[in-house]
Amino acid sequence: MIRSTLIATALAATALGAQAQSATYAIDPTHTFATFEISHFGTSTNRGRFDRKSGTVTLDKAAKTGKVDLTIETGSINSGTAAFDKHLQSKDFFNAAEFPTARFVADKFSFNGDKVTEVTGTLTLLGKTNPVTLKANNFNCYTNPMLKVEVCGGDFETTLVRSQYGMAWGLNFGFSDNVRLIVQVEAVKQ
Amino acid sequence: MTPCFADPARLFALWPALLLAAMAPAAMAAPVDYALDPSHSFVTFEVLHFDTATIRGRFGPLAGEVTLDREARRGRVQVVIDTAAVSTGLPVLDARVRRDDLLATAAHPQAFFVAERFDFAPDGGVVAVMGEFTLRGQSRPLRLVAQRFRCYTNPLLRREVCGGDFEADLQRSDFGMTFGQPFVTDTVRLKIAVEAIRQTP
Repeated sequence: MIRSTLIATALAATALGAQAQSATYAIDPTHTFATFEISHFGTSTNRGRFDRKSGTVTLDKAAKTGKVDLTIETGSINSGTAAFDKHLQSKDFFNAAEFPTARFVADKFSFNGDKVTEVTGTLTLLGKTNPVTLKANNFNCYTNPMLKVEVCGGDFETTLVRSQYGMAWGLNFGFSDNVRLIVQVEAVKQ
Repeated sequence: MTPCFADPARLFALWPALLLAAMAPAAMAAPVDYALDPSHSFVTFEVLHFDTATIRGRFGPLAGEVTLDREARRGRVQVVIDTAAVSTGLPVLDARVRRDDLLATAAHPQAFFVAERFDFAPDGGVVAVMGEFTLRGQSRPLRLVAQRFRCYTNPLLRREVCGGDFEADLQRSDFGMTFGQPFVTDTVRLKIAVEAIRQTP
């Protein structure tokens, strides 16, 4: 009993010591999704969600630095319409057979106090890499009562210009080149 | 804009608009029936999780009919939502929200939205729709506000299509769904993407 208490105390002390420094967080796939939004004939919004993703985040709230490396499986796109999903996976759009993943890598974090406001990095999609800044609409860290560990996350968004990645289908029919990307993310402290 | 009939140049400039205005009532005098396009009609719900990240889920494709009489400024819509088809991107979460303390899909496999009060903009566009939303067998008033609304001729269908993006907020506790509070917000934002295809020539 005494031994286990000692171990627990030692672990708690280690955890507290580590808190001041950089901590690694694993993306929680159950609370992390990327959704695109694009206008359909200036009328309704077409949405599609990527269901498979993985990644890590390193965050040092004291030093105000961070890193993120997030991979999305392009074949996991889910719009709610099977025919549209198939078209999105084809060479006209994500070309999931040839480019099965898209990757966001960033190491420039902007903070307001201890909250992340922007994350700047690069997005590699269809083999092309362009700079991207994700703007935080929400950011928060909390202690998850079930996991009993710290979880950090938020709602982020950016607007991509899809032709920069060579995704030009429909531009000549007047479909928008701008695509809004909304990213909801939570990451669990390791 | 106040028309200025003393200015001949101004009057000349107004001619096309006046001609269109004269033609439009003839074209839109009768109520027109539309059917929801299943490939462009979905509802996404949003709730905030631990004040941190938004949890989203999608319902649809929606099935339903719309009648619009833009001249008389009247409309009617009825939509059926298959609650068990909820899609969050995560099968375990889908199964959780289907349970009796949330969507109760076994007892209430369908949700309904029926509305007969439409607000129109001066140009005939729909700006808001007020009706009744029935979820878990409980009916509450719901107001959908248009973020954008437009009618256009779809080049593939060669038919008129009307639709847009609408938003509505509801309190899930009004429908008896309190599970997960306060860690998951009581306020649910609905984002409705809808397009409806004209059924009559």
